[in-house]
Amino acid sequence: MSTIISLKPLLAVILPAIGIGGIVLSRRYPNIREGPTIVTAVSTVGVIASLLPAVLSGNVYITNLGTFVPGVAFTLRADALGTLFALLASFLWVITSFYSIGYMRGLDEHAQTRYFASFAGSVSAAIGVAFASNLIILYIFYELLTVATYPLVTHDESDAARAAGRKYLAYTFGGGVAVLAGIVLVFWSTGTVAFTPGGIASLASIDPLIARGAFALLAGGFGVKAALIPVHSWLPDAMVAPTPVSGLLHAVAVVKSGVFGISRLVFDVYGPETVAALGVGVPLAAIAAVTIVIASIIALRQDNLKRRLAYSTISQLSYITLGLGLFSPEALIGGLLHIPAHAFMKLTLFFCAGAIHVETHTDNISKMAGIGRRMPLTMSAFAIASVGMAGLPLVAGFVSKWYLLIGSVDAGYPIFAIVLLSSGILNIAYFWPIVYQAFFQTAVETDAKPVIEFSLGGQWRPIRTDGHGHGREYGDEHTEETESESESDGDDTADIATTGDGNANGQPDDTDAESSQQEPKIPDGPSDPNAETTYAVDVYPSDHTTTSTADTERSARKTTANNRDETANPNATMNTGEDNTSIETASRSSSSTDASPSTHASDTPLTDTPESKTETEHSPNASINRDDTQTLRDDPDLGISDGDDETLKTEENNDDMHVSDPAWERRTVRTESTWFMLAPIVIAVTGAVVLGVIPQQAVFLSLIEQVVTAATGVVI
Amino acid sequence: MTDALPLLVVVPLFAALFPVALGYLWNDAGWATAAITAVVHLGLAGVVAQQVLTGGQFSYAVGGFQPPIGIELVADSVTAVLVILISSITILIVGYTRRVGPHQNAFYSELLLLTAGVSGVVITGDLFNLYVFLEITGLATYALVAANRSPAAALASVKYLLVGTIGASLYLLGVGYLYVATGTLNMADLATQLPAVGYDTPLVVTGFILLMTGLAIKTALFPVHTWQPNAYAKSPHSVTAYIAALVSTAAAYAIFRIIYTVFTPSFASVVPLALDVLAWVAAVSIIVGSVLAVVQSDLKRMLAYSSVAQFGLIIAGIAVMNQIALTGSVVHLVGHAVMKAGLFVAVGGLASVAGGQTIDDMIGLGRRAPIVSLGFATLAFALVGVPPAIGFAGKWQIVLGAVSAGHWAVGVVAVVSTMLTLAYFLRVVERLYFRSPSSVDEQTSDMSMNMTTDGGDTLVASSITTTTRIIVTLSAISAIGLGLAASDLITILEPAVEVYF
Amino acid sequence: MTPIELLTSRYSYIVFVALVGIGLYGVINSSNLVKKVIGLNIFQVGIFLFFIASGYVNDAAPPLIEKGTGTGTETAYASPLPHVLILTAIVVGVSLTAVALALIIRVYNAYGSLDEDVIREVQLND
Repeated sequence: MSTIISLKPLLAVILPAIGIGGIVLSRRYPNIREGPTIVTAVSTVGVIASLLPAVLSGNVYITNLGTFVPGVAFTLRADALGTLFALLASFLWVITSFYSIGYMRGLDEHAQTRYFASFAGSVSAAIGVAFASNLIILYIFYELLTVATYPLVTHDESDAARAAGRKYLAYTFGGGVAVLAGIVLVFWSTGTVAFTPGGIASLASIDPLIARGAFALLAGGFGVKAALIPVHSWLPDAMVAPTPVSGLLHAVAVVKSGVFGISRLVFDVYGPETVAALGVGVPLAAIAAVTIVIASIIALRQDNLKRRLAYSTISQLSYITLGLGLFSPEALIGGLLHIPAHAFMKLTLFFCAGAIHVETHTDNISKMAGIGRRMPLTMSAFAIASVGMAGLPLVAGFVSKWYLLIGSVDAGYPIFAIVLLSSGILNIAYFWPIVYQAFFQTAVETDAKPVIEFSLGGQWRPIRTDGHGHGREYGDEHTEETESESESDGDDTADIATTGDGNANGQPDDTDAESSQQEPKIPDGPSDPNAETTYAVDVYPSDHTTTSTADTERSARKTTANNRDETANPNATMNTGEDNTSIETASRSSSSTDASPSTHASDTPLTDTPESKTETEHSPNASINRDDTQTLRDDPDLGISDGDDETLKTEENNDDMHVSDPAWERRTVRTESTWFMLAPIVIAVTGAVVLGVIPQQAVFLSLIEQVVTAATGVVI
Repeated sequence: MTDALPLLVVVPLFAALFPVALGYLWNDAGWATAAITAVVHLGLAGVVAQQVLTGGQFSYAVGGFQPPIGIELVADSVTAVLVILISSITILIVGYTRRVGPHQNAFYSELLLLTAGVSGVVITGDLFNLYVFLEITGLATYALVAANRSPAAALASVKYLLVGTIGASLYLLGVGYLYVATGTLNMADLATQLPAVGYDTPLVVTGFILLMTGLAIKTALFPVHTWQPNAYAKSPHSVTAYIAALVSTAAAYAIFRIIYTVFTPSFASVVPLALDVLAWVAAVSIIVGSVLAVVQSDLKRMLAYSSVAQFGLIIAGIAVMNQIALTGSVVHLVGHAVMKAGLFVAVGGLASVAGGQTIDDMIGLGRRAPIVSLGFATLAFALVGVPPAIGFAGKWQIVLGAVSAGHWAVGVVAVVSTMLTLAYFLRVVERLYFRSPSSVDEQTSDMSMNMTTDGGDTLVASSITTTTRIIVTLSAISAIGLGLAASDLITILEPAVEVYF
Repeated sequence: MTPIELLTSRYSYIVFVALVGIGLYGVINSSNLVKKVIGLNIFQVGIFLFFIASGYVNDAAPPLIEKGTGTGTETAYASPLPHVLILTAIVVGVSLTAVALALIIRVYNAYGSLDEDVIREVQLND
């Protein structure tokens, strides 16, 4: 094992920072602006990849930049563990950059220069964290990472975003303070903070109280970013950021840097033996186990997809911490392997969530019934990644989980193996419904979601769905059915208050309030604390408009009619294959305030245009249309005469907010979304599968085996 | 040439006559004189620094009278670093006032007097001489605070004068006590004479307390800081930048000198309570200063309370009697001066664009004043302690030293101060970048009051001058550069600091 | 020593403490700005008194040596140093008072009153 003096580690850190300059300079030219991002991303990956051969054979690259403070050298060091993280971060940055381009353009977001520049800065800091050679340098880049990601969290500049940003800074700086205190303790008691393979020797011999205290401070400080309970709550709130940010940073770079800090702590500051000797490893693993279980249970209750993914991230990150806390080579390998495994899988999931948001403006799982039809590739990737998260074979999650299971038994704590297995079940519990309903259900036939919505013990009365994925208690059905009857004569003025959700489109801040006859909108579930209104991503006008004319028409229609449902002319051929359940149509028609046929007539021209989407039709032929729509749904290729074929093929999407239960139109892979977003999804999920099928060839496992062998002396 | 040392004081002092005298002939005499003098001062500082770095500590006997009877000027590496700091800040501020600041010739005279005073504080080796220079500094500052002709500034200056004079007088009384005890005023001589008298005699201890109290008033530690927020808030922007960077710095340097050169660490071992109390007062300053800063709505008052907290940190590092912490304190002294000067100049720029200096005036300025806002944000995070800027290096040393010396409370407070500093800076950064003006109700910012702070010049909201941008960028870059070069700075300071341990 | 002895022999120091106390009380407690400055002066005078009093040597001659007598003919000379120090301090005090009064004039011209409370009211009403 030799040391190679080279500028490459420094280059890897500096390149993204140079990218910031390029991005800022080209801020007035949006099309050119993405260039520096892509170029620096690719070159950074290139530089780091070029380090691989030597690192794999046990060498270490060093760039020495002098002394920072007395006793602390400013050195960047690329060893196996650091290269693992750096390679992961930079490679995923490339694909995230492409994804960002698609995402930001798709939503026509503001402040893109600041976004891309902060992104580059964050990656630069993350690589700096990876290549730090001692705790102080790690701390430097750790804090810089916090500062660089703050503008990304607060990107939306709404109150929720600002509050999330404040919380984020408070938590992460607080973690930084704890890390600094720990570093001071280590430096004071041992005189060095350099990462020494096998641990700083003197830490084993100093006063155990100080050693344990320093470990607790360091692990706690890093644990803020690694989202251990109880300092995890910044992560779900940070989901207010744009999805590429949530994906790369809060599933890959920031949180992994926290976990990376813990792994450096375990491997190179204390060393696995000292950790075991001091008895601090098992409490760490225990906290991780608690986090795994609690976060998974909380995830079951989340309706917002990104929040569910956030809690899933919290849970999965603790797999890594769990592995690091146990003194067994397999557990260490499993924990470290989960870093890239989880990164690929979670990135896939977040990319899918973002694609769904951009394409259909849907953020809630309860609205996603049948969306597999609209976004087949996306949801397939989601399905594969979910399989991996649960730890089923052939996807990356299985390999790391396998090692963790063996390791926890090997270390003498089979309880952790049980925790891991039950976590797998919980993962299935919160991912499987999403996948299942996406492909095998439609809005009409969906089950109540999220899974746990009512009291945990269950209800004594039977639960039905109200058609938008929310449970409703028995006894309300009756009124709905009567409405559908009265509906059938097309009496638009029937003023029947319904308990059905008249405006099922869950758009809370819209004309709902104006439709007084409608039932007050049911929030996303009686016990759902995550009402959509808390998310800025849903309340921007841009979220609800798309670039097509359909939207302007739709909004025009909204203002003229002042209610969500357009009364369709019986003769209008609008059946665009959207859905609706009779129940909804009934209520909707009842809510329309102007019942005169003239209004219908006036509405007709608007609704006649082939590109428009009607929200629901409750025409006199509602029941007839309903059948049509049913048949339409069953048989997508069967178009109703006019306009339907075109609408089926248009790239306009269904605005979730306007329809109670969208029957998603069927799209192919080519028309589902832009390739900017689809290609990264494909690459990420392919990476997850590759890591699962041939982990040995995928470079990560080799790096990890090297790290663990060097640390524990055991060859796996 | 060792004559450079007294020239550091004499040149600005003498040059202070010219703006007023020549001002009758030529309107611009003030600025030109100040600029030339500042450059000459920098040259002299360079000479002194070079001599110290190559030859070690040296001294100069004023008037040829040998110490301990005569007044002695001493230059060691701490002095050298601080003198360079003074010259640089003077050049920066003189450049700043060219466009922005008060333009009266009397103003420049006072500025040069202040330069002379601060330089004198830093180079003197005699206790009473220190009093004289402290008073020169004070007088010049009182006049400068009121330089913009506004009555609010005059009132703030009167308050400052009253409190500051009491502080200086207490200092004088302390000098008197020590003189009564030993018969000498020379710092080095006192260090040998005081043990003979006995460190724990009431006379010596009282002398110490009086000296420290007087200097604490000048440094604006809690609870005797009350003059500072008003004085900073009401004075012109250039003046605030200058005095925030240098005046309290000089007083903190005086504390360092007296504790280490006059009283020496032996005093701390005989009377540990005295230093412990000082450390506790400093720690409380950190907390209270930060907490009070969070609730301020005026930006300059917020920065004034921030100074209270930061000087608490510096004095805490001095009071724990540990070499590492002491080095950290000096490093932080230098770094804080650079950062605060940059911050106040940035506030001046932002206030001129926004038309007011309250925190809500800053909303959305990230877009209108991108360079200055970025500089402000960088300096803010540097002061918070984000590495690798200089704010971190000093803080790291202080915490490490405090922990090594066993002062755990000071260490914890210093570490936690990061969060506290973040609390008040985050409010500003958030408003600069992440709020847009339309999303806030029109608030009444105290435009009428705040408009008068710009040195009596035109009161309309104007744009930012290039000079402001240059200065803010320079100080931000220096903050980061100094941070990266922190170990070199520490190496320079080592010889001066280790003699005490 | 007994209080009476203290009073008769060290009376200067008692007066010094009294002056300092009175001066401080004036500065802190009076609301009139000019009275504050007066209090400040009294405070400073007390300090000067301390120096001078402590520099007093019993039965000592003034520090004047006639030319040609070498180191002088007296046995004890009083040290001139405290007096020099105090001269400096007096000058400082005078200039401070001058500056303070100049500022107070400006304050008076703007606010029309020398009373601190009144001025604060006026400032609040601005």
